[in-house]
Amino acid sequence: MADVAQPRTVIPPATGALTVRLRRLGEVTVQTLRNPVTVIGLVIIVLMFAMALLAPVLTTPNEPNPYQMPRDWTALNEPPGTPGHPLGTTAHGGDVLYGVIWGSRTSLWLSLIVVAVTVTIGTVVGSLAGFIGGKVDEILMRVVDVFLAIPELIFALAIAAVLGPSFSNIILALAIVYWVKYARIIRGQIIHVKQNEYVDSARVIGDTKFRIYLKDVLPNSITPVMVQATMDMGAIVLVGATLSFIGLSEAGLAEWGVLVSEGQVGISTGRWWASTFPGLMIFLWALAFNLVGDGLRDVLDPRTESR
Amino acid sequence: MTSVRAQSLEREGSVGDRPVMTLIDVEKHFPIKDGVLQKVVGHVKAVDGVSLEIRRGETLGLVGESGCGKTTLGRCISGITAPTGGGIYFRLSDVDRAALEDILATPGKERTPEQRKRMERIESRHLITALTGDAWRAYRRNCQVVFQDAFSSLNPRQLVKDIVGRPLRIHKEASGAELTERVVSLLESVGMGRQHLFRYPHQFSGGQRQRISIARALALDPEFIVLDEPTSALDVSVQAQILNLLHELQRDRGLTYLFISHDLGVVKLMSDRIAVMYLGEVVEQGTATELFERPRHPYTEALLAANPDLDADVDKEIEGLEGTVPDPANPPEGCRFHTRCPVATPICGWEVDDAVTWLSVETNLLDAMTAVERRSNFDATLAFADDGSAEAVGKAMTAGSVPPAMAPALESVSVDGSKVLLRFLPVPPVELEEVEPGHVTSCVLHTSRRREL
Ligand SMILES: Nc1ncnc2c1ncn2[C@@H]1O[C@H](COP(=O)(O)OP(=O)(O)OP(=O)(O)O)[C@@H](O)[C@H]1O
Ligand code: SF4
Ligand SMILES: [Mg+2]
Repeated sequence: MADVAQPRTVIPPATGALTVRLRRLGEVTVQTLRNPVTVIGLVIIVLMFAMALLAPVLTTPNEPNPYQMPRDWTALNEPPGTPGHPLGTTAHGGDVLYGVIWGSRTSLWLSLIVVAVTVTIGTVVGSLAGFIGGKVDEILMRVVDVFLAIPELIFALAIAAVLGPSFSNIILALAIVYWVKYARIIRGQIIHVKQNEYVDSARVIGDTKFRIYLKDVLPNSITPVMVQATMDMGAIVLVGATLSFIGLSEAGLAEWGVLVSEGQVGISTGRWWASTFPGLMIFLWALAFNLVGDGLRDVLDPRTESR
Repeated sequence: MTSVRAQSLEREGSVGDRPVMTLIDVEKHFPIKDGVLQKVVGHVKAVDGVSLEIRRGETLGLVGESGCGKTTLGRCISGITAPTGGGIYFRLSDVDRAALEDILATPGKERTPEQRKRMERIESRHLITALTGDAWRAYRRNCQVVFQDAFSSLNPRQLVKDIVGRPLRIHKEASGAELTERVVSLLESVGMGRQHLFRYPHQFSGGQRQRISIARALALDPEFIVLDEPTSALDVSVQAQILNLLHELQRDRGLTYLFISHDLGVVKLMSDRIAVMYLGEVVEQGTATELFERPRHPYTEALLAANPDLDADVDKEIEGLEGTVPDPANPPEGCRFHTRCPVATPICGWEVDDAVTWLSVETNLLDAMTAVERRSNFDATLAFADDGSAEAVGKAMTAGSVPPAMAPALESVSVDGSKVLLRFLPVPPVELEEVEPGHVTSCVLHTSRRREL
């Protein structure tokens, strides 16, 4: 090769591909971790996840439903530092620390379910519209336009209100609202990626449409969805908490939004802890995913990726 | 499925002994949509009635200015887009071609049942848009493409091994260790090697990427490759290497090329025959030597004149070629080149647009024009704001200052109040004619129509 001298590394063929792919993953990880802000976000997320996983170890699960706040009628409105209640108790005698810890589990469930469902629906709908195009695209995009005409929060609020106050209805409402965004992102990406000549090349060698979609189109369209999904892991907890706050969830649930809502009456009389600690958790959760999402965007951006 | 050996046996014989690709009146019109309802308001005639034949083992060069439809034609031939008119035939024998042309010349309703049957049979075996099953697979294996932009033609998320091995996998030619070895030998045939197997496209230089593209195109041992400006994105030194490689591959594998470029020097180097395109049409075609030494079309002459040492780009401002390329959605009448031709004659297709253009360039009389009512491109009424302007235009159009080639084509100019009626002599579109064995041109100075002059 005269154009560029290539180092002659010999890679055993059988494992070559895997090695290269793992190395690539390693490179991306290292590059991600080079940004201190991203690392802060990641640390917070890891701590939150650890807390969610270890909740039954860190606290004594409430019987029969650990997602329900325990009630200790002998310890109402205790301030932080009270023995047995390091973060204090609520007006109903609920341990704030218990709520903070089990709230992370509730949040994890909420965000994971909503993101998984919406990314799946959004990717399928967006792919059909973008890859097939024509009439299919037109019809699907009309539907998307209708959804987009209504602000997310208000739409979710309306659906949750119609379905009746319950936490699973909040999940459902968010799932109904959030897929649209992914459908739009993936459609735009696909329409753009489809024009690349590697797609034409794949057709010229005789590959099927479906395999072209799977091998060429989707892998090159999906990164913005991954970034958005990371951001939404945070945003959904925030919106979920908002819906809980205005009473669309279940009373007594170990959920940060519910706790903030139930604790707010105390703020004017100096009992700040019942809503401040869960509020702080919501803030940290949303912030952490936002930071990591931002970091991912920088690393995964196709324009900066091939450096 | 044909084995590699069967294919190379099939390929024995001399260069040019049978056609690989035959194009009959190929058209590709892109709809222009407008408004909220996306109504079709016109068509970009990117390719507008091209007939060509590419015989095996030869290189047909395709040249022309940017936007004349070269890429679109290449994409039609390689089956990426379907033409909107005409037909592209794979391995159409001369006998079948004659039969087909005969049938096509007969109006649809007058065709006999035998003719219809014959046509159906020919189409199902050779018309690339009608192929199915084995015939389609044979076409797919034998017709490959190398694009200009090696960045966008390699999937950035696939390793070289998967990119080059993909055709083999799809056509179930090899898998596992055998696939790897086949890929290695393909890489070696383009001057690369085993050490490049497990790398991503972005780890290579432009020239290397183009080699990878070529290796992929060679994977199925094709008969024919469309090369769409394969070197125009590369540095000059790398360009020469890639051209050499393509030359060697052609010699060793008996490949047939359609070589698209706007660099006349490169086309001369690579081609046995050359077709010159202008605004969606082939205007001249002949052997490389004939075309360079005895061009029979003023457009070709202008291209050559602009490249005295043949290493400049056609794309750069062409000297001696005035004006801009007309809109392919609304191509000129007669000879499409007449709006820019330095030696245009009265029968070259003068039309209302030319008069309007001339008025706007040479006079300031057009400012008062309010409307153009067209009955055809040759016949229109120009409406003016006042009688005076109309009269002035009428005078200008009949005075001696009208271009000498246009003047005889003006059948009548009459002023009626504030209106001017313009009528040009209608002329048919020019047609390609063989002026010497194997050398065709559409310029009326060289075809049988010169008798009309
Ligand atoms: N998909 C499309 N939709 C609409 N118009 C198109 C499309 N593709 C090409 N065209 C138009 O068709 C004409 C021919 O384009 P084409 O790319 O074939 O030209 P070209 O000769 O390859 O030019 P270049 O030398 O710049 O590559 C141009 O006017 C172009 O704008
Ligand atoms: S027919 Fe020949 S002379 Fe007339 S405009 Fe065309 S190229 Fe020029
Ligand atoms: Mg082109």
